[in-house]
Amino acid sequence: MKLNNQHNSLFISLCLICLSCYSYAFAQQAITAKLTTTQTVFEASEHITLEFELNAPITVNLVCHSAYGTTIINPDYELSDASFSLPEKISTKKGVLDFQLISEGVTLYQGNITITANTKNTHKLESYIGPPSISAGTHDYTMLVVVPTDGYDNPIANNTPISIKHQFLDDQKEASIKTTDLIAWKTIHSDTKSGRILVSSTLNDVSSKEFSIEVFPAQPTNFTIDYQRKHIYADGNQITTFTTSVIKDTYGNTISDGTLVNFIIKNKNNSLLQTQGMSINGVATALMLHPDHASTWRVTAQINGMATSNTITINYKAVTEKLPVRFSNANRKIKIGPLQSFMEQLIPDGTIVKLTITKNEQILETKLKTTANGMVSFDLEKGFYPPSTYSFIIEALGLTSIHSNIKL
Amino acid sequence: MKHRKNTYRILLLLVFIGVNILILFGIGQLFSYLNTGADRTSILHVTSPDAKVYLPKVIWENTNNPGRPIEKQSLASIQSDYLKAWYVKNIAYKNNAPYGIDDYYTQHARINILNHISDQKEKEITIESTTLNHNLSLDFYSLDGQLAILTDNNSRQYQRIFKQDSLLLETQTIASYKVVLLLEDGFWKIRHIVKQSNEPLVETTKPTPISSVKNGQVFFENTPFQIKGINYYPQATPWDMFGDHFNTTIIAKDFDIIKKAHLNSIRIFVDYDDFGKAEVIPEKLNKLEQVLDLARVKDLKVIVTLFDFYGNYDVLDWTLTHRHAEQLISRFKNHKAVLAWDIKNEPDLDFKTRNKTNVLAWLKEMATQIKTYDPNHLVTIGWSNTKVAHLLQKNVDVVSFHYYEDIDKFEKKYTDLQSKTSKPLVLQEFGLSSNKGLWNPFGPSEKTQAEYYTTFKEMLDQQNVHYLPWTLYDFTQIPTSVVGKLPWRKHKQKHFGFIDANGSSKKAFQFFEE
Repeated sequence: MKLNNQHNSLFISLCLICLSCYSYAFAQQAITAKLTTTQTVFEASEHITLEFELNAPITVNLVCHSAYGTTIINPDYELSDASFSLPEKISTKKGVLDFQLISEGVTLYQGNITITANTKNTHKLESYIGPPSISAGTHDYTMLVVVPTDGYDNPIANNTPISIKHQFLDDQKEASIKTTDLIAWKTIHSDTKSGRILVSSTLNDVSSKEFSIEVFPAQPTNFTIDYQRKHIYADGNQITTFTTSVIKDTYGNTISDGTLVNFIIKNKNNSLLQTQGMSINGVATALMLHPDHASTWRVTAQINGMATSNTITINYKAVTEKLPVRFSNANRKIKIGPLQSFMEQLIPDGTIVKLTITKNEQILETKLKTTANGMVSFDLEKGFYPPSTYSFIIEALGLTSIHSNIKL
Repeated sequence: MKHRKNTYRILLLLVFIGVNILILFGIGQLFSYLNTGADRTSILHVTSPDAKVYLPKVIWENTNNPGRPIEKQSLASIQSDYLKAWYVKNIAYKNNAPYGIDDYYTQHARINILNHISDQKEKEITIESTTLNHNLSLDFYSLDGQLAILTDNNSRQYQRIFKQDSLLLETQTIASYKVVLLLEDGFWKIRHIVKQSNEPLVETTKPTPISSVKNGQVFFENTPFQIKGINYYPQATPWDMFGDHFNTTIIAKDFDIIKKAHLNSIRIFVDYDDFGKAEVIPEKLNKLEQVLDLARVKDLKVIVTLFDFYGNYDVLDWTLTHRHAEQLISRFKNHKAVLAWDIKNEPDLDFKTRNKTNVLAWLKEMATQIKTYDPNHLVTIGWSNTKVAHLLQKNVDVVSFHYYEDIDKFEKKYTDLQSKTSKPLVLQEFGLSSNKGLWNPFGPSEKTQAEYYTTFKEMLDQQNVHYLPWTLYDFTQIPTSVVGKLPWRKHKQKHFGFIDANGSSKKAFQFFEE
């Protein structure tokens, strides 16, 4: 502020001197300014001074328009030859710098200089890569974009060569890309093999970080399935394991771990059962409980929308032909069992036994019970079943035993 | 004794009732006070539609790029975020506070803006600025859609630089930029912005003028045109011509009256708010088109006064008014009924309250804007008196002014104005209210009004002045926004017409006789 006041008073006194010394015509003469600095291109960090020659000593300011904003600069000395040192914050920013020499709201001179990126100080290679994973085969690719900057965070000059290296399996390639539109970029295509591509870029002595791109196997191809089981019996207890062959993609790469494989089982009644497994090392495994009665399964596996397997057929044999039923307590207690398995061992606990009670061909009730030690018993209470004639159908392990016209 | 007792009873009863009323009133007041404040729905934070705050003209010149084709939606969000980056920067330099900068500039880029802000704070500088257009091309869009490079060609920027609140410089610059944008946290943020040298401007299509000025003479479709018109509002709907009571039958009848009175032009008004501000309501545009079409049929030329009742000349509001003008004017750029676009009615009345520099800068830019959207018609400004009418004369085709002062001084003032400009002069409003009555017992009568016009006519004919008197009708209702609430002012405004409230011609009507 103080400086300014002094400046103003100096200006007024100078004006008075001018008026007294020269004729009225001089005061009317338009004030003109001339740029005496001849250099128009500067490198960032270079000290920039803009000097003007004025035909009259007046207060002037320099207004600089840069990409980020406008700055008003006061002259270095209070002389008629106005000289302006640009502050570092402006002289280090790349781009065209428009300036206006102004005095009391009037523009005396307009021009511009160009500031270029610094070529000496350390660079930084800001790199962006994406997408981070691609699939094998030659059609898919990713892109590396490098935004190289100088020490003042200016994008470096166009046509600067950037060396881009990438490594994949035994292959290592290097390419030189020139910067355009402030950046350098390169597309990197996948090979037929899956794996990991490592990418880096170098400008002079400065290198970027290492970037990795995951190349995932391409789409799976059709495969075969197999099964393993402990025995052939439909005991409703053991487990059948389905496995796939090693599933490969179009290019012979083992498919990615975790690929979901659906196994679809069609049984004798054309009902569908389904189980699934995720692949590990290309092999997916899924489990299924044995049926509890004789059946034939036709099994197909699918990777939804992409690949399918052959169909295999599996037969399950009934564990027994016998379904012993005993009535006691005036037919009000029905004991079923002992149910025996294929080696005459007791059937594992939990086998379902179904009792259907009918009267005059009308179903009154269906009772479900599970076996314990091969046995199940049903009690028919008087309150629910008053004395009359009933029929009973007992089903277990795929066997049926019918008892008609039993008097209670 | 008994009488007194009754009086006491009545008194007591009244006091009781009064106290009760007071208590109830108090409770009511308290209750309504407690119910004021934020709307309850605000708790829900329902996303509000994107507010239209900054709308410089954006043209995408090219979006083909070597990276990958861009989707419409991404392009729209890049555009929106890029404009917001300019908007928050304009506000930051106006207030010297970095509000919103973080959202639109990356960590490294925002340092530059913060540097500017601290520098400005130190030097006590504030800058009001707005960009007026952006000609964008997409140079690069990365495969993963996270990085984009734009070129912004020949972007015009208006700036007003203040030092300690006094204007240091008003300037307009044209600049081109290369911009690197990164998609971070859902915002396209500026990573680098580098100023480049401007591409040479390409001359756009040549205008095919409908109305023009040659050698100080107004031409319409290449024949000399002498404006003999009238300011027009339908009698029932003054200052609300395009409202719910819009009726083309009435307007057509009025146009017949005007035509029979040997007039060739009318002046009508478009209310900025009423027409939808930055997003002009299509229905209103249709109504305006109907009026213009009707005028074409009746062989009347129309001076359309825009931005009626607009009062915010703030630099940050500029682009919104530009979009209003663009939508309205480009629609009628080839209309053969339009004689001139009158930017604003009596803008000089806002000089005191809205700052003269603000108003003039807005008008000047608006004149440029209108010319870019419609080079085929004249542009003018309806100044309220002869003293200020020469302002911005370089930016208009014809100089319009209003005259409500002493009739004896007209010739002098007209010659004074003539000496200041070589552009044709249009006496766009003049008249006398025959408002003799309760509110103004010594005011002009219909006879005085008629005499006034007779005298005026002689002067006008002598000098060949383009004229449009105020106004065709006497009105029964004057909106408060026009002349304020005071009844005598409203009363005056009601009686400027040539035709009275009952629809019969006043004595002044003879003014139109040849």
